[in-house]
Formats: sequence, structure tokens, C-alpha cells
Amino acid sequence: MTSWHVPRVCCAGDNEFESMSKVKLTIKATIAVWMTAVVLGAFLLAIPKMPILEHTARNLYFHVPMWFTLMAALLVSAYQSGKYLRTGNIVHDIRAEQAAWVGVAFGVLGLVTGMLWARFTWYTGTGKWWNNDPKQLMAAVQLLIYGAYFVLRSGFDDERRRARLSGVYNLFAAATVPFLLYILPRQFTSLHPGADGNPAFDEITDPVMRLVLYPAFIGFIALFWWIYDQRVRLALVERALDEQADYAQPTA
Amino acid sequence: MRPYTPQDSVSVTAYDSVWATETRPAETQDAFERTMLSEDKLYVVLGVVLLIWFGILVMLFRNERKIAQLEKDVEGLGG
Repeated sequence: MTSWHVPRVCCAGDNEFESMSKVKLTIKATIAVWMTAVVLGAFLLAIPKMPILEHTARNLYFHVPMWFTLMAALLVSAYQSGKYLRTGNIVHDIRAEQAAWVGVAFGVLGLVTGMLWARFTWYTGTGKWWNNDPKQLMAAVQLLIYGAYFVLRSGFDDERRRARLSGVYNLFAAATVPFLLYILPRQFTSLHPGADGNPAFDEITDPVMRLVLYPAFIGFIALFWWIYDQRVRLALVERALDEQADYAQPTA
Repeated sequence: MRPYTPQDSVSVTAYDSVWATETRPAETQDAFERTMLSEDKLYVVLGVVLLIWFGILVMLFRNERKIAQLEKDVEGLGG
């Protein structure tokens, strides 16, 4: 094994590492305050009462950021996969996997929150939890594509082969994102705004909602980063422990 | 949509905020209660969401400390 791809797992005592952790902790505390403000704004800011929607209009603040967070996470994941394929540094493969994992978790939340919202807003009295809205269908397909990424990864014992092949797959998967989440759903009529050329907001959406929605985008993507950072660090500790076990028993 | 009436079903009446056989206590609402019950009880939902969010935050910050400890331990093990 050559040494150039062995990750520097941690370096407690290293000044650079310690000051970096302090900066990260400050950012995380800021996220905690920021997101609390977003939740307060989401509930306390008065919005016009619309028929059918009523208070569920506030779901906009939580449901839509799930998808922006998914897209941001998949972008990070594809970037890290590309970086792995260029450098061969396994840390980038670990980052790609964790970004996709946390991103898909947000995507699943986006899907189920949309189901709950639609069921009791536009499908009251029908009992329909799944309404085959084009965005709902394409989002489900998107999550399955990334589900296959994890299945593919689980099929390898050799971490270099796993990293290389799943890295290439991840780039193809990322290439489907703009089509499945952006272009295709806009070609059909849909419950979602944007189907008739409006980029994101409906004309009937009150401008006051932007005051909470845009900070919510930032807050949820930052929350993704927080969880992603924790999972990457845990994965690096796990890998270092595995390597130590391998040194102890070199025949394994 | 037709407005809700307590007579809609027996079960709705039975689990409503006032039991059918009970008489509503007269004017015991303090300011806090009046606030919480306004806006269709939206602030009760805010309370629930905030409790969950603070719970998640406690978990995240505890994770931070545990991971930092693991990072130190692994370095100690590796020499």
C-alpha cells in the first residue's frame, strides 16, 4: 500500500485541526439559533388566509427546503466523487457516500411531507396518499436511483474498486437530477408551481413568505452540512479502527 | 366545505375538548391560555415543533462531544 492515499484521520493536538473545530462549532451554534428563528418565523408571521390551503401554506417553509437540501447534498456528493476519481484519495469517496446518504434522508422527508400535505389539502375526502403528481413520481424515481448507489456500494469488499465504480455511477446519477427534479415535472400539469413557466413561486404566493422561505433554504442546507460533517468524521474514525485491526491481523 | 359541528359524529363529540356531560368552566382562561388557543391553536403546534427541534439540537451537540472524544482516542491508539 502506498502512503499517498491514506487519510489523515485526525490530528488532535494539531493547532490547525483544533482551531478548525472551533470555527465549525461556532458555525453549528449559529445554525441552531438560525433554524430556531426560522421555526418561529414560520409559525408567527401572519400570512393571508387562502381557501383550501389555510394554515397548511406554512408547509412551504419546510417541504420545499427538503428538495433544495437534497439537490445541494447531491451536488456535494457528485463533486466529491469527481474529486475521488481524479485524486484517488479515499476520503473523497467517504464524503461522497455520506453526502448522498444525508441528502437522500432529506429527500425521503420531502416525499412524505408532500404526501401528508396533499392528502389533507387537495385530496381531502378521497383517502389518496399517493396522487401520481409528476413531481412526486420523478422524486420517487430520483430517490430509487440513489438507493441503487448504496446497493452498488454494498456489493464490493475492496474499498478501491467500490470507490471507483460507485464514483462513476454517482456522476451518472447526478446527471439525472436536473431532468428528474426540474425539467421533466414542468412539462406536465401539476399541483406544484412552475408547471406553466413560473420558475418557483406561484403568482398567488404572498411575498411575505419569502422572509421565512429563503432563510429556511439556507438553514436546512446548513443543517445538512452539520449532520454530514458528523457522519464523515465517524466514518473516518471507523475506517481508522478497521485499519488498526488489519495491522494487528495482517492475514485478514 | 361545510363548517364543523359537534353533532357530526358521536366519537368527535366524545373526544372533543369539553366532555358532553360536563359544563364548561366559566372564564378561567388566563392570558397564556388565551394566546395558546388563538389562531386555531397554531401556537400549540409551534410548541410541539420547538420541543422536537430543541431535542434534536441536544442530540447533535452531544454527538459533537462524543465524536471529538473518539477522534482523540483513535489518535491515541494509533500512536
